Amino acid sequence: MTKATRPATPFKHLRLPEFGHMSSYWDSVQNVEVVRILAGEYYVTHCQEMITTVLGSCISACVRDKVANIGGMNHFMLPEENRPGGDQGHRGLSADAAYGSYAMERLINCVLKYGGRRENLEIKIFGGGRIMGGMTDIGLQNINFVRSYLRTEGLNIAAEDVGGDLPRRMAYLPATGKVLVKRLRNVRSETIIKQESAYRDDLRRSENRGGEVELFGDFG
Amino acid sequence: MATILVVDDSASMRQMVEFTLKEAGHQVMVAEDGQAALNVAKGASANLVITDVNMPNMDGITLIRELRTLPAYKFTPILTLTTESTTEKKMEGKDAGATGWIVKPFNPEKLLATVNKVLG
Repeated sequence: MTKATRPATPFKHLRLPEFGHMSSYWDSVQNVEVVRILAGEYYVTHCQEMITTVLGSCISACVRDKVANIGGMNHFMLPEENRPGGDQGHRGLSADAAYGSYAMERLINCVLKYGGRRENLEIKIFGGGRIMGGMTDIGLQNINFVRSYLRTEGLNIAAEDVGGDLPRRMAYLPATGKVLVKRLRNVRSETIIKQESAYRDDLRRSENRGGEVELFGDFG
Repeated sequence: MATILVVDDSASMRQMVEFTLKEAGHQVMVAEDGQAALNVAKGASANLVITDVNMPNMDGITLIRELRTLPAYKFTPILTLTTESTTEKKMEGKDAGATGWIVKPFNPEKLLATVNKVLG
């Protein structure tokens, strides 16, 4: 059997402008161009591309409009550890809700911006594993958030593979909606925990900076 | 205390912003897109408008342009609250008549500080 070769004109020139900087590689087994996203990133495409990531307690939402042939995936987690009765932040509003909504909205908005329609969206969610020790199940908090967010937005979940105690490697093909998930039994969770902890620390610093404000005039 | 019109197609965002403003003592009107907001604005006056940019039916930039044609909203402060952060989009907003540009993720303290600033 001969392996398929990378197309002479890979999809990079067809990238949506938001994602022109992201690198990709040709997977000769799947015969597809692959874009790997990390925690905090998202990617949207209208090409026959595959989006991959590795999830520990983080969540990935796969969102596509099969009519408009546009879709993408994010990879995020919530910045805070919410303990029962703990501080939920300013006036009862948690930084989690603000950041989680932002991560979801950024992906959904991008799909809608390039022709997707809200009523056509097919949404699948993955991840939220309990891979870290300790009292708090961070993965479950992430799962609860994304389910609650989608319910509030009136968006249905078409499929999900969440929870458990193993990390996942997943791949999403927005053009077909196909998702490949592999439970990683032989991968050291410590590496993924370290990456997710670094991401969470970074989010907490970002929270301190908050949303950028620019006023177009003199307000003293 | 002010009457504030909040416009966002995300129900989660509308809830968070409405909660924050009401906790601070403001009255809040909400709309789910630019067209709905324009209809609200034609029937009621507000001291401030906070609008998302990317929305169906009518986007936030078009809403700002439309509001500026209404005598009651000619000088009303209008803030955007959006995931858009490019200079081009900001300039588009400024040219349309926006008073200020706030980039998500939503930060309640910064929003209230900005609201107080533009309301004087």
